[in-house]
Amino acid sequence: MTTVIVIGVALVIVIALVVLFARGGPRQEPGVVSFRKHIDALSPEARREVMDRVRPPNDNDNDRSDG
Amino acid sequence: MARDLAIDLGTANTLVYMKGKGIVLNEPSVIALNRQTGEVLATGREAWQMIGRTPGYIVAVRPLRGGAITDFEITERMIRLLLQRVGVSRFTRPKVVICVPSAITEVERRAVTDAARRAGAADAQLIEQPMAAAIGADLPIDEPVGNMVIDVGGGTSETAVISLGGIVALEAVRVGSFDIDAQIQAYVRREHGIAIGERTAEEVKVAIGSAAETEDESQAEVRGRDLMTGLPKTVVLTPEEIRFAIDDVVSSIIASVVRCLAKAPPELAQDFLVRGMYLVGGGGLLRGLAQRIEKETQVPVRMSNMPLEAVVMGAGHCIEHYDALKGMFMGARR
Repeated sequence: MTTVIVIGVALVIVIALVVLFARGGPRQEPGVVSFRKHIDALSPEARREVMDRVRPPNDNDNDRSDG
Repeated sequence: MARDLAIDLGTANTLVYMKGKGIVLNEPSVIALNRQTGEVLATGREAWQMIGRTPGYIVAVRPLRGGAITDFEITERMIRLLLQRVGVSRFTRPKVVICVPSAITEVERRAVTDAARRAGAADAQLIEQPMAAAIGADLPIDEPVGNMVIDVGGGTSETAVISLGGIVALEAVRVGSFDIDAQIQAYVRREHGIAIGERTAEEVKVAIGSAAETEDESQAEVRGRDLMTGLPKTVVLTPEEIRFAIDDVVSSIIASVVRCLAKAPPELAQDFLVRGMYLVGGGGLLRGLAQRIEKETQVPVRMSNMPLEAVVMGAGHCIEHYDALKGMFMGARR
């Protein structure tokens, strides 16, 4: 009886692993994903929001220096 | 709920960008203190107007020099007051991204983050000024092409080559537009025998200062104190004199640009000839500087649309996309 249970459990684990690998397909490396996110966040489209939000330069600003 | 902030903590000006709102503060990095009690009397523009015009018990100072904190305690108080002005309190502790010169030391880096945390920030991250400037100047740094940015600030001048979201080559000198003012002060003292203040020197720079000969040049009258008699005196300065006076600083900035160009990989170097270099920062507004760099490097130089705000806009973009761009922060790479 115990042998049957052990074989059954082993079979279930093997089937679960096979299904998991079959469904997963080619997985992307975490480095690729984060690099893609990083580059996408620097795209002109992503930056447009900030550019549009910032007010035009103040012509009355008499302190021209910047640091 | 605290709104996260991006701060361009410059030697000359401090700009603050609030997430979702835009630039909410743009003030000179100056604080006025009562010398006897240590009380803060004014910050920002109000304190800037006091420079060189205070009675003995008041001192108006710039707590940052060369992009570095020279007085930790005063800087912390200045940051705290500036953050209070944009709504930060002990109950609203925002995440903060601060732009700093790339040549900052480990000790200086810790001083800036500690000052921001003590001033009320929940978390303080640092980003290099040229990187923030490139983002804010809207350069296509997400592409595998050479983007070159020259940031001439009050206390530092930095040149960086950026490609694919990272710095490829970098060159920084602790020289900026305040050094130009100091050279003008020293020249007037040496050649005309009169003492002028730093604000007057800055006015001379803005009025007739140039790095190369330009059209419509005019002379400027300067009033100061005669070193021999101690009486007020007026002298007339010419643009040629000012060009001569500031040449050492201008040459030093251009030499750092040339060194950065020399460091760039050949594949990216050819891009500069087509795309040019971008000039940002208040020091970049010096007349003839772009033309002089262009002449000495044979590479086209273009002025950013918003040279004074480019750095804080870049940092503002980082605070808007904090999770995606946190790899760019200085602590993340070291």
